[in-house]
Amino acid sequence: MKKTLSRYFSLYISFLKHNLKNEMMYRANFAINVGMDIFFMLVNVVFFSILYGNVETIGSWNFHQTLVLVGTVGIVRELAYLTFRKGFLELGEYVRTGNFDVMLHAPISAAAHLAFRHVSLTESLGEGLMGLVLVGYGFVQLGNAGLSSIGFYLLMLINSLAIYYGFCLIINSLVFWLIKSQELNTVVYYFMNTARYPRDIYHGLGKAIFTVIIPSSLIATTPATILIGRAEPALIVLTVSVAAVFLSLGLFFWNRSINFYSSASS
Amino acid sequence: MKKYWTVFRVNWQNALQYRGPTFISILGNLLHISVLLYLWNAIYRSEQSLGDYSLSDLMTYYILQLMINSMVLSYISWDIGNEIREGSFSNYLVKPLNYLHYWFTINLSGKLFEGLMILVVGAVLFFVLIAYISFPSSALSLGYFFLAMILGGILAFEFDFLIGILAFWVVQIASFKYMLQYSMFFMAGALLPLDLFPKLFQDVANALPFRFLVFFPIQIFLEKETAPLQGLLIAVVWIVVLYFLLRFMLRRGITRYEAVGR
Repeated sequence: MKKTLSRYFSLYISFLKHNLKNEMMYRANFAINVGMDIFFMLVNVVFFSILYGNVETIGSWNFHQTLVLVGTVGIVRELAYLTFRKGFLELGEYVRTGNFDVMLHAPISAAAHLAFRHVSLTESLGEGLMGLVLVGYGFVQLGNAGLSSIGFYLLMLINSLAIYYGFCLIINSLVFWLIKSQELNTVVYYFMNTARYPRDIYHGLGKAIFTVIIPSSLIATTPATILIGRAEPALIVLTVSVAAVFLSLGLFFWNRSINFYSSASS
Repeated sequence: MKKYWTVFRVNWQNALQYRGPTFISILGNLLHISVLLYLWNAIYRSEQSLGDYSLSDLMTYYILQLMINSMVLSYISWDIGNEIREGSFSNYLVKPLNYLHYWFTINLSGKLFEGLMILVVGAVLFFVLIAYISFPSSALSLGYFFLAMILGGILAFEFDFLIGILAFWVVQIASFKYMLQYSMFFMAGALLPLDLFPKLFQDVANALPFRFLVFFPIQIFLEKETAPLQGLLIAVVWIVVLYFLLRFMLRRGITRYEAVGR
């Protein structure tokens, strides 16, 4: 077990290094990417600052607390690109051309191979950096949570990443029937787009849907509550359980669906 | 005229073939709008309000925004930019087609097709949220609203075409284009009603023509627009001015065109 883990880790590092070298060849492209990310994060901030020009709180969240929320989405997005996200964007092409064979041959799991092959530090770096700035700024302005909460916040970020990964796996399992993944990943994109609103705005049926079916209301809200000093044990337990369920379901569907891969042109 | 009718028909069939992606993007918009409806609901339940909007005004605003996003807002600049960048624009130079009119036709058939799809979604949404919807009190407002939608659609096309043909001057246009398009939609009131903006921002937005794409038609529907007729006239003036500007820029652009890859 330990040996497998360290093998996966060293593979991850070498893929990351290799991809980074590739990305650094196109410096202008890199700068444009970062600039665009920052622009879209700023649009979100402007959106909320206009709203907070009219109201005091949204679902009991004030402006600085919401900044932590918006920033958290940025950080989760960057973490996803540092682990699995970009592989899924390329998956459709692999399946269509039959090149997915390569993923199945290597002595690591196909899901890990797909993810590692495309890990990217720079793809969403602007969002990640801007996210850190927003979270940091909001945290300092609020000043009602101890520094000790940071460790717990990081743990819950990883938990959110697990929900995101499970959701991606479930949706992308359909690729073996659809033979393209662009629309599937559009769905994933819209899913993450709804994560920046506080969970407290939902009630009734909406709350159930955005927890169990589209669990986006947990992704940013739960980590953020910890950092802003209003952690609720029940919410944390719920989020960890949802992560466990989504990750298991995701792996289950993925491993089943892979059997339907038809290996085109081979 | 007949050749443009053919273009229209061919693109209609094309749209029919790509109904899957269109449907998914509609679903995505619907998801975002639903979240926003929850957001407004949460604000109004905590006894706060946004400007002089009632909750049903806001709900109506965003349901109409969903329809306008499909029926009015134009997304053709991506294809135009690609044609110019990759050299397939050359094909049009030898065809007896006006590039501007050609794309107008393509956009028109695409928007009509998407409009039909969104009408189904919108009808369901109207039915579910009927208690929350502010209907205009007079048929005249409804008439002005449809007129404003049509003018908004033409203006949206002209602005997006303008963004598309910037590819003659700026080669790496993709990210730049997204930012321009998004800023335009923001100033059109697609994310938030313009009268919620801070005063200065509001004055800027009111002076710019982008408000005719989203904010202006919805204000007419909500009967908050004090001078609809005057607004419609200003929109027509913008359409005419932009039409001549686009023709001029297209002529200038063609002289710069390098037919890369041909």
